[in-house]
Amino acid sequence: MTLFLLDGLIVVGLVTLAYQAVSSRSLFRGIIHFVVFGLTMALAWARVGAPDLAMAEAAIGAGLTGALMLVAYRRLVEGRSDSPADPAPAQSRLALPIAIGSGLLVGVIGLSALFSEVEPAQAGQAVLSELQQVDLGNPITAVLLLYRGLDTLLEVAVLLTAFLAARAVAGADGGEGSATTPAPETPMVGALLAVVIPLTVLVAIHLLRAGSYEPGGAFQGGAVLAGAGVLLILSGRIAATPVAGPLIRMGLLAGLVSFMLIGLVPLLKGSPLLALPGLWAVYFIETAMMLSIAITLILLFAGGGGLKRGRNG
Amino acid sequence: MDSLGLYVLAAAVLFGVGVYGLIVAEHLMRKLFAINIMGNAIFILLVAASGPIQGSPDPVPQALVLTGIVIAVSATAFALALMVRLYQETGQATLSSRDDGDDG
Repeated sequence: MTLFLLDGLIVVGLVTLAYQAVSSRSLFRGIIHFVVFGLTMALAWARVGAPDLAMAEAAIGAGLTGALMLVAYRRLVEGRSDSPADPAPAQSRLALPIAIGSGLLVGVIGLSALFSEVEPAQAGQAVLSELQQVDLGNPITAVLLLYRGLDTLLEVAVLLTAFLAARAVAGADGGEGSATTPAPETPMVGALLAVVIPLTVLVAIHLLRAGSYEPGGAFQGGAVLAGAGVLLILSGRIAATPVAGPLIRMGLLAGLVSFMLIGLVPLLKGSPLLALPGLWAVYFIETAMMLSIAITLILLFAGGGGLKRGRNG
Repeated sequence: MDSLGLYVLAAAVLFGVGVYGLIVAEHLMRKLFAINIMGNAIFILLVAASGPIQGSPDPVPQALVLTGIVIAVSATAFALALMVRLYQETGQATLSSRDDGDDG
């Protein structure tokens, strides 16, 4: 009963925060509501029993999306004294009926899937029963890299494409100025970074390693590592440059290239594409993907093509 | 009703809120919130409606949603870059032409 109440609270919170995010008066409040919505989503994932998703949502969905939105907001208010124009909501008589209709549609689909008598989820049961053979303890990592490797490969490609596209549409000043104005340096900042950054890197590596037998993995690890990068940018330790150096470029491509090369090797031996040759391949690809994901997310936040030592670096 | 049913209902309501926000909101960043909320509603639906196997949700939809979360943040980052560029070009971050764009 208590747990059901907790679920009810989470659900009410989700709906309220979502409504506030799309309708609150100032845009800045909307961003804050959206970030809190993401964190509440992480709670919901934990309650549904999906800790991998909870971690990914907290780090990527709430943390990095929020950071990206705040940077974009800053670009909108830059150089103006007033707050950015936030026009009043459009008056649309059809909005409410359409919204209710689509909500009902989703509800009917979901409830009929939940309460249908169809034999559920044979793929999931097959994954769980073969988990012992492939020597991976985390079924989600197994699905991501062994059974649906093509999805994961394309996902890394999409992330890289999104970064390149964002660079391509960035205005003429993209990459010149930093996305942030570091506050005056105080002794506390250095001391804090000296503790937090190594801990963050440690947590990221732990998440990566843990991903093979318990919740965690390349995406969560990469997002945590990107958080360390965001902290370094905010404190002026590193700054964006318009053009990437060779190291950054290699880092950006590491995940995609290593996944493709290792995925192509089985073709030579007559096995299917992306049939990974062993557990070492899983670890290697996950490590490369973690680095690529972290660097891509950091560069998206910094709004530049490369990184250099910042003025406090 | 059990918790999974509750979350399926939440997904339905959230999707409705997202659609409403997408239609009503003028500022592009708010439309982005709305799209992300719709996406999150579908993620909850995928995991909750697939039902548990051996006590935890089906790993296949979980992996799909994990992929989806990363794709969502990629698309959001690209959309934000487009919005900032639009703002630099036109001085406003809306697509509306209701008042011929004179109120920004």
